[in-house]
Amino acid sequence: MIGPATGRPAKLILLTLLAASLLAGCGRREDERQGAHPTPAGAETPRRGGSVTVAVIAEPGGINEYTTPSSLASDEVLFTVFRHLVQEQPDFSEHPPTFAPELAESYEWSADHKTLTFHLRENAVWSDGVPVTAEDVRWTWQAQTNPDVAWDNAFMKRNIRDVEAVDPHTVRFHFTRAYAKQMGDANEGTILPKHAWETLPFAQWRQSADWFKQHAVYSGPFVIASWKTQQELELRRNERFYEKDRPYLDQVVLRVTLDPGSALIQLLNGEVDFFAQIQPNDAPRIKADPRLDVVSYWSNLYVFVAWNNDDPLFADRDVRRALTLGIDRQAIVDTILGSYGRVGVSPILFSIWAHDRTLQPLPYDPAEARRLLESKGWKDSDGDGVLDRGGKPFAFELSSNAGNQQRADAAVMIQQQLSKVGVRATPRTMEFNTLVDQANKGRIAAMVLGLSIDTSLDLTGNFHSSQIPSPTNEGSNFERYRNPEVDRLLDEIAATPDLQSARPRLDQVQRILHRDQPVTFLWESQRLSPVNKRIHDAKPNALRSFFNLKDWWVEPQG
Amino acid sequence: MAGFLLRRLAAYLLLLYLILTVTFFLIHLAPGDPVRMAEDQRMTREQRDQLHRIYHLDRPLPEQYLAWLSAVALHGDWGISFSHQRPVTTVIADFLPRTLLLAGASLVVEYAAALLFGIAAARRSGGAADHAIRVLSVLLSAQPVFWLGLMAILLFSYVWPVFPASGHLALPALVLGLFSAGSTLRFVRGSLLEVMSRDFIRAARAKGLSEARVVWVHGLRNALTPLIQLFGMAIPARLNGALIVEVVFSWPGIGWLIFTSVATRDYPLLLGTTALSAFLVIMGNLVADLMHAAADPRVRHA
Repeated sequence: MIGPATGRPAKLILLTLLAASLLAGCGRREDERQGAHPTPAGAETPRRGGSVTVAVIAEPGGINEYTTPSSLASDEVLFTVFRHLVQEQPDFSEHPPTFAPELAESYEWSADHKTLTFHLRENAVWSDGVPVTAEDVRWTWQAQTNPDVAWDNAFMKRNIRDVEAVDPHTVRFHFTRAYAKQMGDANEGTILPKHAWETLPFAQWRQSADWFKQHAVYSGPFVIASWKTQQELELRRNERFYEKDRPYLDQVVLRVTLDPGSALIQLLNGEVDFFAQIQPNDAPRIKADPRLDVVSYWSNLYVFVAWNNDDPLFADRDVRRALTLGIDRQAIVDTILGSYGRVGVSPILFSIWAHDRTLQPLPYDPAEARRLLESKGWKDSDGDGVLDRGGKPFAFELSSNAGNQQRADAAVMIQQQLSKVGVRATPRTMEFNTLVDQANKGRIAAMVLGLSIDTSLDLTGNFHSSQIPSPTNEGSNFERYRNPEVDRLLDEIAATPDLQSARPRLDQVQRILHRDQPVTFLWESQRLSPVNKRIHDAKPNALRSFFNLKDWWVEPQG
Repeated sequence: MAGFLLRRLAAYLLLLYLILTVTFFLIHLAPGDPVRMAEDQRMTREQRDQLHRIYHLDRPLPEQYLAWLSAVALHGDWGISFSHQRPVTTVIADFLPRTLLLAGASLVVEYAAALLFGIAAARRSGGAADHAIRVLSVLLSAQPVFWLGLMAILLFSYVWPVFPASGHLALPALVLGLFSAGSTLRFVRGSLLEVMSRDFIRAARAKGLSEARVVWVHGLRNALTPLIQLFGMAIPARLNGALIVEVVFSWPGIGWLIFTSVATRDYPLLLGTTALSAFLVIMGNLVADLMHAAADPRVRHA
């Protein structure tokens, strides 16, 4: 699943039935409200008090981030009741994202960019009144990197040599080297309450979900006031939150609603005020209701066809180019996403500052596709409508993960479109883990896949030859693309602390990928969050739907 | 009777042991790595190794089996759920009430429907109503329960939205109850018809009692005796039958827990829930055995 946006490696997105709406992580900023704004201008004075009810598709796995299987459901809640040092902002359309204060009110880099010093807020306290100090930060890092805790993102801390508590409100991160994702790596993970949790040895952490709940203290705008398993979580205003005028709401009720269809009904009948994500075809029903609104924003997910570059069928760049020309991507977007998507052209999405705007998607041109294939010796010599070469037809299976209807639908449309250029693609869905397992072994010819790009723009996982998956190497380069020049550029980008200065290399990578077509980019899409108009200032974004929960407010009832 | 009971208990204990042992090896041999499925994402090899070590998945399978068996048999320790990171017994204790609630509600639905329609059919035996009810009962029990569930969602949540599609007791209880009511109804009808042809019913009629009193008091009281036995066995069956219904309606009870523990390869939790399930079925059988033995002395020595 896509975790928090801060600097995780590209991960496969699986839309399972249970998890369908959790996923589709991050996106973009353009918070464009669709439809009328809920209140007339002038009535926008935030007000304290009130309660909102939010449908969530799963409850958090626990309250300790480092032993809880990472999921959007957990992150949304944990990042609300606990705090990071800083908060990555969704302002990456013009420049690399900036970081706003959370527990740290400021930070500075050393001249060699290998030391990062955070200054903690003096007034930040845990919900039991104990101050949040540099010792908490240092101890959190020890937990994050402890093998018995086995945190799933521990690898993000591997370039951090030490976390030093200089004084109660100053903490210093020492890196082994300077590189692009330093801030993301330092900031990854919420700060834990050392005084409350250090009595439990790390070796017992992975069996103590109940203990953590019983011994919880919080630092975020809300605290977990009650938790009915698989039913409801009640978040209540943290009276000791460091921002004295936040949050506005007294209470947020999270209603566990395992089925997205059910969440939709609860929205329509007013039982629920907010839901993180609906499918495009449900949007008209929400918009037709005068009490409801839909907030839409670009996700950081891109969906593409990964051609197995090791497969003799797809080894030739011109053949892959022909396949892209033969797929009517605009028709696919129109059918599947309507106005909530657009044809993709680069893994660095339109909504990101480093997107190369000179790139245009290849046109849909079946005649040119056919001509290209014929120039490579593919001809329909037996008149069966399928091209062949050396007695072998141009035929393959096009896989997608079971439970993801959008991708299965896309595969069927691709099948139909490619048949017009004499290529036979047979759609096939497979259980996610089986699909990955087969792909690791290089046994998948082509698959419709989605990956997310994080805001540090690290494309290594998806396109670096070191990330070609195998049973012993879990990379995400499923197209098995090998290009030494791309490898070199990606290494250089990842080693550049100031991403702005890596812009020429980022552009170059995008152009090479466009030329080589190791994959055919299908679409980028918007996420749609339905919200009851009685909620004001809800700004879900690509990073998180509860991004600014502390700023949400409601008008008095009645 | 005590000897009979002991022999049966020993046999059931052996059965329970075999069920769990087979389950243990089946789930461990199924493809899929529990630490990867729980995390639901790709992870570094290093972290996977750490998790394997923490959950003892790096040990040889026979060793894992013996460790699990001795913990369960000697200490009653069912282990820690991988995905919940809490003792299996507390996870089950959290989810069991919802299954009991659903089972109870669906039993009410089942017996209410079965009595109502069963009696109506018996009283109009051979008539149009009887035929209609009998066709309905076959239809209800012949449909796969997941299909009934989906149709109920379609009907009552989308076409005519009176109940939410998930998280609400009404629809799953209705579906599970009506599904089982099909066969119970026929049982009520048959039993009542049989009773109604007896002499004491004729005697009751001859006394000039009203027909309603004849049916409801004299007929039903006698017809219900076998039904009570059926009811005793229905409870464990219901707890297990709820698996599919719980998944279809996203009702997080034991069935849902079994389903998710298979999906995430949560071995300890799957074994714990399987044990509970098997235990309930066995108890149901034991009760039936005892009733049978009480009624028929020959069985006790079999």
